[in-house]
Amino acid sequence: MSDLSTEVKQLIIETLDLEDIEAADINDDEALFVDGLGLDSIDALELGVAIKKAYDVKIDGNTDDSKKHFYSVKTLCDFIAATKA
Amino acid sequence: MKFIIKKCIAWGDGKTNFEDWQSFSNGTIVNPQTLTLPELKQIPAMQRRRLSAFAKLTLHCALEASEAFQHDIPSVFSSRHGDLHKTTKLIADVASKDTLSPTNFALSVHNAVGGLFSIYAGNKAPLCAMSAGEDSFFMGLVDAVAKLKTRGYERILYVYSDQAVPEHYQPYVQQKPDNIAVGLLIEPCESSNGFELKCTGHHQVKESETPNLQALDFLKFYFSKNNKLEINSKRYQWQLSR
Repeated sequence: MSDLSTEVKQLIIETLDLEDIEAADINDDEALFVDGLGLDSIDALELGVAIKKAYDVKIDGNTDDSKKHFYSVKTLCDFIAATKA
Repeated sequence: MKFIIKKCIAWGDGKTNFEDWQSFSNGTIVNPQTLTLPELKQIPAMQRRRLSAFAKLTLHCALEASEAFQHDIPSVFSSRHGDLHKTTKLIADVASKDTLSPTNFALSVHNAVGGLFSIYAGNKAPLCAMSAGEDSFFMGLVDAVAKLKTRGYERILYVYSDQAVPEHYQPYVQQKPDNIAVGLLIEPCESSNGFELKCTGHHQVKESETPNLQALDFLKFYFSKNNKLEINSKRYQWQLSR
């Protein structure tokens, strides 16, 4: 799990050009969007594409479920792990 | 059409400040030079991270030229090619059937940089993005001055920018591969000491375009003591005097 979490953080940093941030700076439970890391809706789309490419899992558009999956690094990892299992 | 240029900010290959442009104008520095990018420290890192070289050049000139008026000034953004480097990447992804990057897609439209300017400055005034081939610099200026007059604006921001086109496109473009952005703060001219721009269409379209970028010819003239600039493009004769 922690390997996946580091991997996802690295993916977030590289995909979204977060130049001044390192994986260790991102808290597993912290909100990714608006508060917390401060990502926006374009980032959500970009991240959705990157996760689909990297893990071959598809996240449906603007549904309540996808909002839950995208909440934090932890929820994202749980979702990837559950889908791949 | 007459107007006053209250402020002129330009950024190009090896030319980033007033002194550089003066030396460019009097011929003491010559191209080619390398391009450095403006830092744009005033823009928060989360917004700045998405800015391409094209966006950085353009935004720098837009913000510096409009300065205190940036929050409500109307504007015209002109570019012949727009952010063609970004568009080319997208087209390559389409060709190789890769998923397109939503960020690159959103920022590759012709009015993207104008949009970034308006979001950053919180500016809700009318904004237009245009392109007019070889004549993009002067046609954009015509559009800005026309808007200034017909709408009765106190001032308008005019921004022109273009980059050397990506390799694939180079065989199709006769203009020299320069990177250039210019921001002009333009005001109406009440007295006789302003600029006057005249445009005449050729009776017969010339066979080829001119290799010089109009914006660079304009800057050379602007920073000199000359009082007249004449340019013949494929379709038009431009005359700018002061």
